[in-house]
Amino acid sequence: MKKLGFTYQMLLRFSAPVTHHHFTLKCVPKSSHRQEISDLSVQVEPYGFLSRSGDGFGNESLYGACEMAHQSFRVCVAGTVRTGLSHYEMASDVHRLGIYQYSSRNTAPGPALLRYADDLEQRRCKDCGTRRGGNYARALFLMEQLYRDFVYEPGATDIQTTAEEAFVRGRGVCQDYAHILIALCRKNGVPARYVVGMLPGEGLSHAWVEIYDDGMWLGLDPTNNLLVTDQHIKISHGRDYHDCLLNRGIFTGSATQTQEVSVVVRELTE
Amino acid sequence: MEERELDLYRHTDAVNELLARYGVKFGIYKNNEFKEQLFPFGPIPRIISAQEFAVLEEGLKQRVTALNLFLKDIYGEKHILRDKVVPEEFIYAGSGYAALCEGVLPAQGVYSHISGIDLVQGKNGEWYILEDNLRVPSGASYPLIARSLCRQSSPATFRGLQIDDNRNYAELLRRTMDYVNPGGLPVILTPGRYNAAYFEHSYLAELTGAVLVSGSDLVVEGDYLYFKDYSGRKERVGVVYRRISDDYLDPMNFLPESVIGIPHIYDVYRKGNVALMNAPGNGVADDKGIYYFVPKMIQYYLNETPKLQNAPTYLPYYPEDMDFVLQNFDRLVLKDVAEAGGYGVVFADRMTREEKERFLAMLRAEPRRFIAQEVIDFQDIDIFDETGARAPRKADLRAFVLMADEPLVWHSGLTRFSRNPDSFIVNSSQGGGFKDTWVLSR
Repeated sequence: MKKLGFTYQMLLRFSAPVTHHHFTLKCVPKSSHRQEISDLSVQVEPYGFLSRSGDGFGNESLYGACEMAHQSFRVCVAGTVRTGLSHYEMASDVHRLGIYQYSSRNTAPGPALLRYADDLEQRRCKDCGTRRGGNYARALFLMEQLYRDFVYEPGATDIQTTAEEAFVRGRGVCQDYAHILIALCRKNGVPARYVVGMLPGEGLSHAWVEIYDDGMWLGLDPTNNLLVTDQHIKISHGRDYHDCLLNRGIFTGSATQTQEVSVVVRELTE
Repeated sequence: MEERELDLYRHTDAVNELLARYGVKFGIYKNNEFKEQLFPFGPIPRIISAQEFAVLEEGLKQRVTALNLFLKDIYGEKHILRDKVVPEEFIYAGSGYAALCEGVLPAQGVYSHISGIDLVQGKNGEWYILEDNLRVPSGASYPLIARSLCRQSSPATFRGLQIDDNRNYAELLRRTMDYVNPGGLPVILTPGRYNAAYFEHSYLAELTGAVLVSGSDLVVEGDYLYFKDYSGRKERVGVVYRRISDDYLDPMNFLPESVIGIPHIYDVYRKGNVALMNAPGNGVADDKGIYYFVPKMIQYYLNETPKLQNAPTYLPYYPEDMDFVLQNFDRLVLKDVAEAGGYGVVFADRMTREEKERFLAMLRAEPRRFIAQEVIDFQDIDIFDETGARAPRKADLRAFVLMADEPLVWHSGLTRFSRNPDSFIVNSSQGGGFKDTWVLSR
């Protein structure tokens, strides 16, 4: 169990003034069995109105709009989290597990991933010790293999890259590790979902995977070949990256935009 | 009633001229070009006896009630999947399921406010359901205005005729809108005049007293949806009879590239502050794969025997059905579950050998993508052909069921006929014309 302080900041700059800017933000962590959020502050500037909504996966969102001309848009979410209260999340959504069992836009396996899944199945059969334990053991095995066979390399892929494309390249970032592991899990009949969150240090948001086993969602961090621990602050989950966009927006105006994101997470002493 | 030489037949040209003047057109996209064509009216009506329609009415109410329960179940508890009456795959791997709609219960639990159910009558007199349309079914306005113009052009025809007045459609529609309205203006949302059914949107707005709006007239602020008039005054909107598909409804929640939608309309709908007719996500209940399961839904949710039957349908997803389809391939019609509007429909006996082989390979690779049906030899109805002579043509019937505090079946319907004597496809996207549907009062 840890107490972490976090700040998520996102700054959008427009090259020319924009109007009718609508946004949906999914960047506020929420309390669960695993984590307890306190001292939460959310700042959005500028906005005309701001309200709360949600999605079909159980995440909450903030939505709003700014009609007035503006050239920058800033979001800052800060708070304290007690993490690692348990190492799983009780699954309250067992009746809709099917959502996480079939291919989604970025996780549909192509020929290369299907072949890889078959190879792994053969490797696993040789190592009969891992047969026991159901979904969890299967997913753990898949994560270990993927960690061995895939290389971490920022810039090798982009946010649109699918699991199949990343796998063919053999390198990528946390988003790609997560998409590939999800594709492999689902292929093996293990319900798996994409998670966005934060890790201690300074940098960007992080992505990992939760798999379903026996009434629980268990976190696996394939980029680090780790079980999700009290280091991980969860923000949202979905079928893949697209369901967990931290910020989604549209605006009127002929402007280009640049986005700066900064995530800072520090351990606090009790 | 014996259909005889009605006075109306002498006024067909006048009726068609009036229809053209009212702008009753049907637009279609062909080769990436928008073409607006008149939707020709054929004066010989489809006539359904009171007794026969009573059977249809009961069957339609039953079917639409079950489909609504199915939608509520799919986006809620999913009992029908847990009980394995419908395989999960047909939901989650299909294109109609919208995860966004999970856990959202629309006002009064109504999902399909307006259902267009397509039927045909076999030569044996039996009616068969061909298709359920639960998203944005169009077509009610055509027989509605045709009846009205026919009465104007040939009052003599209707004197002494005992047929149900179909001009109550607007009342039924308004009642359906009012039933789910949480408070505010009723509006009809059109994508604009380049839509195939623009005439219908404007006509129904006029008849129901709802405001005809486009996306740019509506705006979400906070937790509500507002209509902005030309002076900038804002008024809360309570119910949106939207004539645009889910994809284009809300760029913040569905396709981001939509420019005709209203950002965040889905968010205020989730809160119950505006009703959307029909509910988003209905596509999960009306694709051709799910069609196979509708009789099972009726059994499952209502514990009743279906009063109206499906056309005999096989699901190659089930190995025994696949065997049957392969053995009887030449006499079946095959439909791609993801397509609509008469596209993706192939008659096995009209394929060349290569086409057949290619198709069978596709079928074996993706069995879930197709359904196979017996070709129903359905009853012809006469039309007047180019020379003015009577000629029999295939015709179907789109019946309209509206869901208010109870299911309401409109005593009329759109009868579409194909102009090509060899064609079984009567969809208006494929050319063809329409007839009025007369339901006898006694």
